[in-house]
Amino acid sequence: MQTEILCRPAASVARIQMQEGESITCEVGAMIAMSTAINVETAARKRGSSGGGVLKGIKRMFAGESFFLNHFTATADQQSLIIGPSLLGDIVSHPLTGGSLIVQGSSWLASGADIEIDATWQGLGNALFSGEAMFWIKCTGTGDVLLSSFGAIYEVVVDGTYTVDTGHIVAFEDTLGFTVGKSAGTWLNSFLGGEGLVCKFEGHGKLYCQSHNPPNFGKLLGPMLKAR
Amino acid sequence: MSETSFVHQPLGKSSTSADGKLAFEIFERPDFSILSVKLRTGEKVFAEPGAMATMTPGVDLKSSFRGGFGRSMGRLFGGESLLVNTYTAEQDSEVTFAPGPAGDMVHYRLRGGNLMLQRGAFVAHSEGVEITGKWQGAKGFFSGQGLVLLKASGDGDLFFNAYGAILEIDVVDGLVVDTGYVVAFEDTLGYKVSVMKGLRPGSKIKSFLFGGEGLVVDFEGRGKVWVQTRDVGPFLRWVTPYRPQKSRD
Amino acid sequence: MQTEIRNRPAFANIRVLLESGDSLIAESDAMASMSSTVAMKAQLAGGFFNAVIRRLFGQESMFVNEFSTYGTGEVVLTQPFPGDMECIELNGNTILLQPGAFVACESGVKLSAGWAGFASFFGKEGLFRLKASGTGKLWFGAYGGIFTRDVSEELTIDTGHLVAYEPTLKLKMGMAGGFFSFIFGGEGFVSKVRGQGRVYLQSRSMDGLAAWTNSHLY
Repeated sequence: MQTEILCRPAASVARIQMQEGESITCEVGAMIAMSTAINVETAARKRGSSGGGVLKGIKRMFAGESFFLNHFTATADQQSLIIGPSLLGDIVSHPLTGGSLIVQGSSWLASGADIEIDATWQGLGNALFSGEAMFWIKCTGTGDVLLSSFGAIYEVVVDGTYTVDTGHIVAFEDTLGFTVGKSAGTWLNSFLGGEGLVCKFEGHGKLYCQSHNPPNFGKLLGPMLKAR
Repeated sequence: MSETSFVHQPLGKSSTSADGKLAFEIFERPDFSILSVKLRTGEKVFAEPGAMATMTPGVDLKSSFRGGFGRSMGRLFGGESLLVNTYTAEQDSEVTFAPGPAGDMVHYRLRGGNLMLQRGAFVAHSEGVEITGKWQGAKGFFSGQGLVLLKASGDGDLFFNAYGAILEIDVVDGLVVDTGYVVAFEDTLGYKVSVMKGLRPGSKIKSFLFGGEGLVVDFEGRGKVWVQTRDVGPFLRWVTPYRPQKSRD
Repeated sequence: MQTEIRNRPAFANIRVLLESGDSLIAESDAMASMSSTVAMKAQLAGGFFNAVIRRLFGQESMFVNEFSTYGTGEVVLTQPFPGDMECIELNGNTILLQPGAFVACESGVKLSAGWAGFASFFGKEGLFRLKASGTGKLWFGAYGGIFTRDVSEELTIDTGHLVAYEPTLKLKMGMAGGFFSFIFGGEGFVSKVRGQGRVYLQSRSMDGLAAWTNSHLY
């Protein structure tokens, strides 16, 4: 299976070439275009469900939400699949070699079929964004994880400590420790409201950040739209 | 698609064309492409209402109904307005046009063939080009989801935009595209809209889909398809929690 | 202090390397990430503001953050929307910015509210522009790519596409075409810029994005 990232850096898509029998798991809605000899199965998991169905290693869901996945399998050689995320931004591929990567829920685009996906990880607590709970996915195993971002993706190799506004976290290796708190902590910041939650990472590991913050964009555009 | 070749629209911050009727430049490519048309005295360009970004002095702007659509006022058709803005240069001038979403823009020179355009993609055209609705007949006419198409024909310049980047695909061996990502295609291709394989009809997944997702287009034959790399459906799903809420009466 | 605008023009952001004694002022929500050695302190901008003026800005609260460090540190500054950023160096001159365009400036730059006249009220932009003057670097950004036009006579601009302009230019509200096209032509009121000077324009507008999004909502 070969993966190529096209249309970088702001409207990136991943083109995956598969031979017969190869497969990949993707977030639902990610499929843009594909060859004709590809089988698609959609699975949904709800909290408390014991599974069954075609996908290996999907653990329970988070907070009663359903997490939809598409599993694409090539039924002939030389089949191509193009996938992309919801927002403008970039895609990077992170190779997992047995360890774990914690991925912000909306930044998880796809992963190899042998990677275990656990959507119940709650290490960052119930961080809220405009009343919506963020969710995190723990990916473990061997293979590639495709990460998407709102904005440009920049990597920080943490060796000591580093602080990130939580809306800018894409993914991080689980070798890193972290604490969540308010940003500057002055009375002015509390007065202004807004989340202003930051995450201070420490230890050694890789951290992927995005240059832009989806809730800040949503809060700007949302009020200009029709009511729901 | 195994034989099909991919050509990403040539990069470089701007592009023009030697065989365009209009003197134009598409710059700020590929993410926020904006069209600049330099009009000579007497020349006209026709554009989607609301697209104008800047205009030098001496350009006359008139809004009128597109020919052939009868008297229905204000009804949105194919995602484009029934109205068209005509810009006529009374002196040498420049008009720039910017669509709503971030993304790329393509110049296509029509020479007698037809180009099918998805809803929302039309930006502008030169004299000599005619835009009409494509009534789907037996295929049904989807409004708000699936394919809603306009047909561009004639001899002249056509400019269309996308949400995201544009992949130009030469179809040789069949291609399946989620309807939300189809921007335009040459009408030498046959096409059929259906529900994507693997989705169980009547299942809860339908309610999760927003605006046509789960519908795909099966292309066959030979011709070019322009595919965008982002889709309005997922964008709407993402932005909905930030929209104002109607107060309950 | 070293600064670099990265990832232009789609997702421009500023990477700043601070040293002891450096100071950088940034819009209140601009911090994306920073070394733990950097201190961030909130303050009122310019001293000119009271709550009334702050509310008139709508999009942008005029509280800013000041960044400094005792050793060395890194800060990444961003803006809420995808798009480009520009850095200009002020040397006693003034530039007028649209609300929402301000990203950051050095401490020698003074920020105040400039009166844009009643005309701009109808363009939904509010009555004020942000006026930046003094000495030092100023960073501003926009939704879309940023390009310039040097006006010698007049230029009609769809108001949502105007980012910044030199004060030698005067702004007037107008209609792009006749009355029928005002109602149906989708442009509404436009800004007519007259005089000699440079305008900074953006190749997308938040109004245009909202209109496109709304056209898909029922």
